[in-house]
Amino acid sequence: MIRRPIKPGTRITLAIVSVLVLCGIYTLLSVRQHHKNPNDTTIPTWSQIGEGIKKSVTPQPGSGEIILWEDGVATYVRLFEGLFIAVGAALVFGIAMGCYAPVEAVLQTPLSIAAKIPPTAMLAVFFVLVGINQGFFIAMIVFGVTPTLAQAIYQSAKKDVPEELLNKAATLGASQGEQIWNVVFKQVLPRLIESVRLQIGPAMVFLIAAEYVVADVGFGYRLRLEGRKVNFNIVYFYLGLLGASGFLIDYALLTARRKLCPWFGR
Amino acid sequence: MNPPDGSDIVIRLDGLSHWFGTNRVLHNLNLSIERGQMVAVVGPSGCGKSTLLRAILGTHPPKAGSVLMDGKVVTSPGFDRGIVYQRYSLYEFMTARENVAFGLMLRHTTIPFRVFKWGTWRMMKKDHIRQAEELLVKVGLGNAMDKYPAEMSGGMCQRVAIAQALVMRPKLLLLDEPFGALDEATREDLQRMVLTLYQENTRAKIEGKPPPHTILLVTHELNEALYICDRVLGLSQYWNYQGAGHDSCPGATIVYDRAAPTFEPNTPREFEQFVAQRDEIRNIVFEPENPPDPETHRDFWTRRQTAGSVNV
Repeated sequence: MIRRPIKPGTRITLAIVSVLVLCGIYTLLSVRQHHKNPNDTTIPTWSQIGEGIKKSVTPQPGSGEIILWEDGVATYVRLFEGLFIAVGAALVFGIAMGCYAPVEAVLQTPLSIAAKIPPTAMLAVFFVLVGINQGFFIAMIVFGVTPTLAQAIYQSAKKDVPEELLNKAATLGASQGEQIWNVVFKQVLPRLIESVRLQIGPAMVFLIAAEYVVADVGFGYRLRLEGRKVNFNIVYFYLGLLGASGFLIDYALLTARRKLCPWFGR
Repeated sequence: MNPPDGSDIVIRLDGLSHWFGTNRVLHNLNLSIERGQMVAVVGPSGCGKSTLLRAILGTHPPKAGSVLMDGKVVTSPGFDRGIVYQRYSLYEFMTARENVAFGLMLRHTTIPFRVFKWGTWRMMKKDHIRQAEELLVKVGLGNAMDKYPAEMSGGMCQRVAIAQALVMRPKLLLLDEPFGALDEATREDLQRMVLTLYQENTRAKIEGKPPPHTILLVTHELNEALYICDRVLGLSQYWNYQGAGHDSCPGATIVYDRAAPTFEPNTPREFEQFVAQRDEIRNIVFEPENPPDPETHRDFWTRRQTAGSVNV
């Protein structure tokens, strides 16, 4: 039956089963591959992956660096800095476009065009304009995420806030600033959080791609390096970490949306 | 005829006309509403009732003529005029209590005040919440203060919306078909609630105080107009313009302005009491066949002076 609800216990059980099935399929593939070639590292066994994890979290001889820590800090600082700027800019652009027709007229076309250009195609431009530094990675995320996010906020500010609510706020004594902050922003906040949730994936893509090409530390750099050395036990570990961290960020945003906007989706 | 000298006029329309491009909507509306009156505006679909309301609200100022609130020209919305819409009546991200207290916050504080004088703001907020709760109890929602609009019925939402407007003590409360989307029983409940406001006016007049509530209700329900208002205006595009019928009318105008019977909130509704007037309004305002002369049935003030007493 379409949309028939299931019990929460059943939902959790099915989720666990789906992960176990994935692990099972991987194990089968790995065993099969190692049956063909006992020295294979492209589909490592669980014990090989364990060795990769151990190598990633053990201080390196000489430098004493823990590569997972170094890569994690570099990547997530870049990700959160980029997202912070992108969300801030998108919020300002989106709300201004939804509230003021002249701003809408000025920004709508450039944003639509910018949203269609993949930031990875802009690598050369960023090399020249920003240089290869922290700003390069942040620019990739900001350029990739801001236009789409701004368009989502603009649509929400325009469609989800009927004129009647703004007129009513004016009759209650709201200034323009209060109409924007107390009505428009509060109304679009859940949509903003939902849009950011959807943009986490693309932001990771842009960042990892940039790190893959030019970084000397970070998840993208490590994936390239270990991939070339065919150390897939580390590659899979990093991919798993990327997936898990993405899932956690998504869950944190969902929790924030539920806490900040309890009215949404009730 | 104009209101007699000394009348306490809240709102006056002087030669108000409005049009959109070549579409002429309202033509030369002249109207004075006295403090404490409950005035219904009825008329056929497309006659410009909502345009009139927007002109008074200030979101769509008239193209010609003026709207004066207590003698001052209206150019934009302000807290001297409250509004209750049929749809989008509440902020869905606020509870009933917060929706009602919202106006008090906006009126008495600013964003910098709330940020930089946080302690004082917290104290004020408690008082705003208390006032909101009192009003919600008054409109019969004492047990729904923490509910969000999505968790309330249409009738409950409209009660909150009325409380939200009343808490600001507006000089004029505009009701834009507020009960149009409600079922019959809920609508009747809310109509009685509006009649309690009329009772408060009556009580204030007896005590020699200015009546607190002046209401302009836009509705397409004739029974509703006659039941809860003490004055009915008929706005129509079907009137006799320069003896040439309604085809050449330059927009709708007021063709009917007469007193309506008054009711107590707790007495049963007896439609028989206003059947004759309802038929009269239907013939004059809604029938394109016999377009009236706009002056003939616009005699609220004349009749009141003739009656020689204030309609309480």
